[in-house]
Formats: sequence, C-alpha cells, structure tokens
Amino acid sequence: MNNDQKAEICDIERLVKASQAKDRSAFDELVRLYQRRVMHLAVRILGDADEASEAVQTGFVKAYLGIGKLKEPKRFEIWLLRIVANAATSQLRAVKRRAEKIKIAGSHKDKKMVSPVEREPAKELKEAIQQAMLKLPKKQAQAISLFGLDDLSHKEVAEIMGCSIEVVRWYVFRARQKLKVLLKEYLE
Amino acid sequence: MVCVSSKAKIKGVIERVPRMKEKKENIDILLQRNATEQMAGVGWDELNAAILKTLDEAERSRACARRYKAVFKVAAGIIAAAAVVFIAVIVNTGVPPVVQFENRGNVVVKLIDKKGVDAIEIKLAESKARVMVDIETDQRKLAKVDVEIIDRNGQRKENDSRPAWIIISRPEPVFADNGINRDEIDLICLM
Repeated sequence: MNNDQKAEICDIERLVKASQAKDRSAFDELVRLYQRRVMHLAVRILGDADEASEAVQTGFVKAYLGIGKLKEPKRFEIWLLRIVANAATSQLRAVKRRAEKIKIAGSHKDKKMVSPVEREPAKELKEAIQQAMLKLPKKQAQAISLFGLDDLSHKEVAEIMGCSIEVVRWYVFRARQKLKVLLKEYLE
Repeated sequence: MVCVSSKAKIKGVIERVPRMKEKKENIDILLQRNATEQMAGVGWDELNAAILKTLDEAERSRACARRYKAVFKVAAGIIAAAAVVFIAVIVNTGVPPVVQFENRGNVVVKLIDKKGVDAIEIKLAESKARVMVDIETDQRKLAKVDVEIIDRNGQRKENDSRPAWIIISRPEPVFADNGINRDEIDLICLM
C-alpha cells in the first residue's frame, strides 16, 4: 500500500465519520468517490445500465439511512458493496417478475421473430446476459459479479457475501458452468 | 455416513475448483465485455445528480416520518393519560345511580365504604317507605345496584321469588335529626 492509498483510506474514514455525524456533504463526496465502482458491480449483476442505475440509487439511499450503524468506518467499501449487491439482486428479481408479466400479457415480440439484420449485437448480448443471470441463484449471481470486479481479493468477496472463500469459489464455479451453457452461442 | 460421504464429495469438488483470479475464462471475458459496453453509455454526472436527488427525497421522507412519529407519540401519550384518569375516576368515584320509582320520587344510592355492609347511604328518600337494595353479587359493582320500594306495610310480596333477605341497619341514625323516622329510613334489605 503506497502513501497515496493510505491517504485515500484516511480520507474515506474521515468522510464516513462525518456522514455518521449527519454531514450530508460528506456522504455526497462518498457517492462521488464510489459511484463508478458500485455501478460496475450492479451492471455485472443486472447486465443493463438502466436497471443498474436504479439499484445503485436504492443502494446509496440504504447506505445513507444506515450509515450510523456501521461500526468500522474503514470497512465502508465492503459494507457498501454488500448493500449494492443485495439491491441489484432484488432488482434482478423485479426484472424477472416484469418479464413474466409481459410474457403473460401475450407479447408477440419474440426474440426469435426478429430478423438477424435488425439485431444489434451489443443489445442482444446484454439481453442474453440479463436472461442468463436471471436463471442463476442469487448467491451465484453475486459471486460471479463480485469476482469480476478488479482489485477485490478473495477474502473481500467472501466478506461481502458473508461466507467462506471456498464457498465463494464454489458459487463462482457453478455460475460459470451454468452461464457457459446459457450463453453458449456467444462464446463460440 | 451419508453426511460424511456428501461432505467429502463436496470437499473434493471444491478442491478441484480452480482459483478464480488466476485464470480468466471466456465467460468472464464475455461478461466483462458487456459490462464495459454498458458502462461506456453511462452519464456519470446525470447518475450523480439522480443519486443526490434520491438522497434528498429520502432525507425529506425521514424528516417527515420523524415529525409524524413525534406528533403521534404526544397524541398517544395524551390519550393514554386521559384513559388512565378516566379509569381512575370511574373506579374511585363511581357515579351514584339514580333510580326512578313509580309515584315515589328518586333515591340515590352511594357506596361510602366498600368493606362492610354499612356501605350504602340513602341520600334522599322522599317517602317514608322502606328502601330495599338489591346488590346482585358484589357491593363494588355499583352500577348494578337496583333499588325498589316495597309495600308501605313492609310485607314481602307473596310472589316474590327472591331466595333470601338480609336486613341491614345503619349504625348511626344519620337522618334522625332531619325528622325522618329512623326505623323507616335505616332498614335496608339486601338479597
């Protein structure tokens, strides 16, 4: 850990303590510092930036309302990532319910009916990943998404998920296996 | 045994699971590609503004909820205090029942001492008739006291089905000074 990183951690601790003392501007600063990181996690879980944006907002509100309960300010990042991971997973379930409603309502816009010419590759991949993530159990979806975040250690992922490193590895292994099958056509 | 073998099986599988960060698989690259594409389209300033706006709303809602909570607490406290006072008043100073008699005026019956039979005070008896007080089960149940006037000659009615009569005489002739016949006023019959 270099001096810059140490200074940054001290700064974050100071901001967290100020936020706990009801300093709103300090929390706004924390939002500015962490929004990219938590957005990345939410996008990885949800596969879609718009949905992820909602989950991030929900996550930050929960964090703001509950920051007084955080006992160790230096663990703010772990705590925030856990909140956002849970918010994103809940959002994923909401997306699933919405998709089922649309299906029941008799939407005739079936993906298979769209001609390949009309398809947008990025959009199609996004939808395919979203559908695939919907089929994963909550813990597996969280594990594979957290593992995709850079500079997050195994231990930190386990802490965020509240289980052991081995169990997290198992979740990632199973998630990969399932996703490989579900996204087979995009891997070839 | 089944449990042990299952555990061993799971342990074996876990041990075979490769270390994730060490090797990126195609599926990881695909997921990362989508995430990068999605992140590229995000307007960070707009997102920041949206988050701060949501926080403002949450703060307002919380302040509002706190205010309502305080008002609700005060209101609940007032209601509880009023209820306690009301119950205390009812228990301690029961309202004497006023019983209307046919052609005999009103009689007010009041409990002045809950311990003994000398608990009934005749506040007003317009006529000279004797007063019969029926306390059903418990003297403390003031509201259930029923008063009626028996025949002027003091005889019990033949068809009266009441099983027993107790005659109570007040220890002090309270009303004697007022010129009211003590024998008539102080004889109280309980059943």
